[in-house]
Amino acid sequence: MLEVRDVSVAYGAIEVLRNVSLCAEPGTTTAVLGANGAGKSSLLRAISGVAPVRSGSILFDGQDVTQIPAHRRARLGLAHAMEGRRLFKPLSVQNNLRLSWQFGARAVPWPTALRDVYDRFPILAEKAHVPSGLLSGGQQQMVIISCATIRSPRYLLLDEPSLGLAPIIVSQIYEFITDFAQRSGIAIVLAEQMATLALKVSDRGYVLRRGRVVQHGDSRTLLANSAASLTASYL
Amino acid sequence: MDFLFSLLIAGVSVGSAYALVAIGLNMTFWTTRTLNFGQGSLMMLCAMLTAFFASQGVWLALAVVAGLAVVGLLGIFIERFAVRPALKTEGSMGWMVATLGFGTLLQGIAAKYFGSQAVAFPEVVFSASDTVTIFGQPAALQYLVIFVLAVGLVALLELFLGKTIWGQVIRAVSFDQELGRVQGMPVGAIILLSFVASSVLAGVAGMLIAQIGGTVDPAFGFDLVLLGFVSAVLGGMGSSVGALVGGIVVGVLSKLVGGYISTAAEHGIAFALLMVMLAVRPQGLFARPEAVKV
Repeated sequence: MLEVRDVSVAYGAIEVLRNVSLCAEPGTTTAVLGANGAGKSSLLRAISGVAPVRSGSILFDGQDVTQIPAHRRARLGLAHAMEGRRLFKPLSVQNNLRLSWQFGARAVPWPTALRDVYDRFPILAEKAHVPSGLLSGGQQQMVIISCATIRSPRYLLLDEPSLGLAPIIVSQIYEFITDFAQRSGIAIVLAEQMATLALKVSDRGYVLRRGRVVQHGDSRTLLANSAASLTASYL
Repeated sequence: MDFLFSLLIAGVSVGSAYALVAIGLNMTFWTTRTLNFGQGSLMMLCAMLTAFFASQGVWLALAVVAGLAVVGLLGIFIERFAVRPALKTEGSMGWMVATLGFGTLLQGIAAKYFGSQAVAFPEVVFSASDTVTIFGQPAALQYLVIFVLAVGLVALLELFLGKTIWGQVIRAVSFDQELGRVQGMPVGAIILLSFVASSVLAGVAGMLIAQIGGTVDPAFGFDLVLLGFVSAVLGGMGSSVGALVGGIVVGVLSKLVGGYISTAAEHGIAFALLMVMLAVRPQGLFARPEAVKV
């Protein structure tokens, strides 16, 4: 289980998260919703250890990791697909996957892990030796998500996997996410601006507004209320 | 003919020394896109300390190891205090002044404790009078050693960067440190190691060059790091083969100019070459352009 307890994050004098708590159970998908700048990415970055946490604590299965550096949290089973097409762009698709696998849990042997990715996204097999920076936005997102899942993580953070993509690619990526959630049974935290989409694939949801949690609960309930209250949170 | 040949041999040899410096500069460039301009002083200090320990009656091999250990530790110091703070601000060039300043400080400290006079460097690997015959011409053995060392190092580094997973890790870290950390790569340790390796290499280069000249003084290394920098830019920053070729071009050209025109123009020609290169092909001879779609 992934727990965030009363976490505040600040860059200098600018506070971007205030006393946020969140709980992600294994086998469930937790949606983090909110408008641009609400603090979704900061929350995910706090969990993976690359945002300056001012107070509060972060726990992986009860172990307090707040003081543990990012690269060791990753070795504890965390995978974070960051927003903004974060890839090692000069490196080939296959080398991106290889590095991520290498520093992950290595629960699956490399050839099998690679074949799984290529079976899932055949286009990546065609582009295996192309520098990943030359791929289209959708293909890059496929590599990013695959880099996260190829690690065999225990906790998976996905930051805006739909951002800037064509609807058909978005549905392809989401199909993969829901499928992976079912197969792996791990805790997934999904940050997303497209609230309806995220609530449909998640079990629980948290709505952030200006760095605070303003609503949280069962995804279905949130979705039912969405028309009125969610829109208000986005304004 | 003999004169030309001896100039060429000498050029290739000093060029190999520049190449070693250029490779040292590349090592930190790979991981952090910074250059350790304190390298010149590390070369000096390593040679100076070795000469000092040896003069105190320390067993020679031990003196060499001690000298290298000290500069290796200073590499840690440079990374921690001269480079890392500057890199906290994105786009900061503070590391340039900080590493150069640290070099100047070391030079001052050496001048204070060892005096500003040149001291004799002991015969560590070979004697100054050892010669070998190349194409029927006698050439100093020391010239050959430094050339072989530079070529061997370039071959090793090319293999390491191109064929091993850690080579990929270094390329990854140089592109995006944060992404590396999030993926579990020991980014801090890699950067630190690159500074230690670069400093130890500077130490080795310093001892070899001191061996050739026979002496070392506190100002030793200052010109070398500048010429090493010219070589690195000429060959293409970050490229090992480029460092070797760039070093040899600079070395040979400056020896030819020194031999046929004037020794006063020896170093000037290197900088003239640098300016021409920056105007014509700023990425250098061997830099691979990195394709990135935004």
